[in-house]
Amino acid sequence: MNKIAYFASETWASLRKNLILAVAAIAVVAVSLGILGMVVMGWNMFSNMIKNAERKVGEVDIYLSDLTTEEERAAIEAFLVGIPEVDPTKVTYKTKDQALEEFKERFKDQPELWEYIDENPLPNSYELMTKDPKDVGLVVGKINNEAPFRDRIEDVKSASSAIEKLENIFDKFRQIGIVGVIALAVIAVLLVSVTIQVAIFARRREIGIMKLVGATNWFIRWPFVLEGISEGLVGSAVAILVALAVKVWILDKLIDNLQFLRLSLSPGLLAVLFPCMVLGGVVIGALGSAYALGRFLEV
Amino acid sequence: MRRVTKIYKGNVYALEDVTLDIEKGEFAFLVGPSGSGKSTFIKLLIKEEEPTSGQIYIADTNIDQLRKWKVPYLRRKIGCVFQDFKLLPHKTVYQNVAYAMEVTGKSRRLAEQQVPEVLKLVGLGHKLDAFPDELSGGEQQRVAIARAFINRPPILLADEPTGNVDPSLADGIVRLLERINQAGTTVIMATHDKAIVNAFRKRVIALENGRIIRDQDRGVYGYE
Repeated sequence: MNKIAYFASETWASLRKNLILAVAAIAVVAVSLGILGMVVMGWNMFSNMIKNAERKVGEVDIYLSDLTTEEERAAIEAFLVGIPEVDPTKVTYKTKDQALEEFKERFKDQPELWEYIDENPLPNSYELMTKDPKDVGLVVGKINNEAPFRDRIEDVKSASSAIEKLENIFDKFRQIGIVGVIALAVIAVLLVSVTIQVAIFARRREIGIMKLVGATNWFIRWPFVLEGISEGLVGSAVAILVALAVKVWILDKLIDNLQFLRLSLSPGLLAVLFPCMVLGGVVIGALGSAYALGRFLEV
Repeated sequence: MRRVTKIYKGNVYALEDVTLDIEKGEFAFLVGPSGSGKSTFIKLLIKEEEPTSGQIYIADTNIDQLRKWKVPYLRRKIGCVFQDFKLLPHKTVYQNVAYAMEVTGKSRRLAEQQVPEVLKLVGLGHKLDAFPDELSGGEQQRVAIARAFINRPPILLADEPTGNVDPSLADGIVRLLERINQAGTTVIMATHDKAIVNAFRKRVIALENGRIIRDQDRGVYGYE
């Protein structure tokens, strides 16, 4: 009990003395963990959106060349209906005229989009639904590789191919985010270690005397380790507050206002994320003080 | 403490092929001019420096083979007093002495009992709450001795304890060490204060250029 009180008071006194440095270290810890939190929340929201979208969309569109003959079209249709994963009752043929009508209907508020078209640029197409939305990729692959008169098929599109592109973009974001978080975490470790070095330097005389009267190494080290860890803890607390603010004031609003995107945060995500951020703060603080102690405190 | 053998080498020979025994309960002066190796001798005993070769035994333990984490426990058995006192300026006399107990994990209540007692012994029972810079050199050294003695170490090392003390008070410091010695503690005092050595007539170990040039019981400082 005696010892705990001693360590706590030593830690607090030292933190107060190096206030500016400690604040800087805490800020960097907070920024790195805060970005981590946002990347995780953003990624979670996005992947939930994708999952929702994929669950709903089992649709594949096949665009045919204008040169396609009637026999070729029949062969293609027979092939499409014959794919086991495709729902045979949901294979529909849409002529280019129908497509144009649909287009006009969809953009009737913006007639300038179609008013000046003299020749219909839209192709004839098939629309089909898979039995199970998750087979979309499989079906697209089969059409691409096995369909007869492959050169008559100009394009095969599914909602998932658009999603895939989005996924790639978000993947890049995530990678950049992770690299950034790691870089910031390293800087945070170094900054924490600088504050500990300064603290060690400020107390070098006292440390010498402690060694002289037979203080054990850990007795000397503990206050510094605690100082590093408390910097990490305070930093992670700030990061959690920021992440919470972002969630309440930005993400929740996005989820409400962009309902068609079906954004959502997994329930329970924060219950995992926040403890991880606290742990991250402790690890950063402990690493920072361990580094400083290893280099500057010979015991 | 017995069979202290050490050969300390390097680019500078601080101690060279030194072999000696100091028995339990002895009081020995370690004399010699500056740079003769007195301080190195002391640093080796508290394992602040490692010998280049040779072995040092304290209470039949070879301290070369001591594990690193055991060094603090060695130091608790050896009280140390230095020329520059090494007191903490922002702590009071009481706190400075109590610090040595705190650091070794003794309870606060024990410190409250023992610290005033020991400070009374060194003649500072009335200055518990003074800060080091309010005291004279002699008084500060008494605080340092109280701190070195508070954990009742079997060995007390003093490196030029009278160096920063008014000559008229130096006598009292050594007398204090003598009293500690009479209570059973082995005392080794490094000094180049001729008057003191000659006055107290203890064992004198004379070092010069890292070698022992003389070792006699009830000796004097020797050559001019």
